[in-house]
Amino acid sequence: MLSRIASPIQEFGFSAGLLYVLGRGLQAVSSHLRLQVYELMVQPIPDKPLLPSKFGRSFEIREIRRGANEIELMPARPDIKEARFAQGAICLGAYRKGELIGYIWLCFDRYDEDEVRCTYLLSPQGQAVFDFDLYIFPEHRMGLGFVGIWNGVNEYLRERNIRFTFSRLTRFNLPSRRAHAHLGWKRVAGAVFFQAWELEVMFATIRPYFHASIRRSRRVGLNLTPDALTSDQNAGISTGQG
Amino acid sequence: MTDKLEVLRDYIRTEVGHEGDIDPHVDLLESRILDSFSIVQMAVFIQERFEVELDADDLVRANLSRLSAMVAMIDRKLAA
Repeated sequence: MLSRIASPIQEFGFSAGLLYVLGRGLQAVSSHLRLQVYELMVQPIPDKPLLPSKFGRSFEIREIRRGANEIELMPARPDIKEARFAQGAICLGAYRKGELIGYIWLCFDRYDEDEVRCTYLLSPQGQAVFDFDLYIFPEHRMGLGFVGIWNGVNEYLRERNIRFTFSRLTRFNLPSRRAHAHLGWKRVAGAVFFQAWELEVMFATIRPYFHASIRRSRRVGLNLTPDALTSDQNAGISTGQG
Repeated sequence: MTDKLEVLRDYIRTEVGHEGDIDPHVDLLESRILDSFSIVQMAVFIQERFEVELDADDLVRANLSRLSAMVAMIDRKLAA
């Protein structure tokens, strides 16, 4: 019992570890009780490719449209995928030698979260997207897939004058944190959602800080800005680490 | 073989900060010594240091996940 508490604390830190244990405990009590612990991140779209051009050329990035056969290969539930298209999300597929190796979803300017009743509002308008559900098929993991997808997605976004991409990370997804560290991720905010049947309570480190609702139609809005990147650059300049 | 192994080991120690010995047969990705970003950087290093030309088809797990596989790939390229 003690190790079930101690090991998450050791892995995630004290407060996050306690939230992890609490979340697992709630789920054990009822499937209607959930604790979602998120970190909201931003990463810059770099001016230069991640891969040398001769390697990057082996990946092709193209939009997968609603109704395409590839949609059925994606593990998310059909109604979730349909809801994504309904809110204007774009799905980009990464292909190598004609084979789909992975994909990512993007929303421009705003994204309606599908795990909790929250809408992320992105700024600056017209220059930001929200990326979610990056998936690499198992046989292409632990290789170039992750870099190849991001290399192509960055190019796609650069062509559309997008400078920032935001994302939501489950606090306990350490491999994803490690992988994205290479992409220049910075933390924008943290948010914890407690769900009990129709009740949803949010605590966040940005406005409105707290929100509670029992109606499915009520969504809290969180404004996400790339200030974390700017302030980091400023800090770098002032300390000579730029 | 040994020289190339040592060069590759030194690169990993310097660039990734891995300390200690690295078994040439250990899977560098599974053991989290390297990740997909550092693999790309390592491929670029291999090209420059050993003056071999790699193409995208060479950048696969079979060639880059173990030091022994990297050395075998370099030898094949040098012999070609």
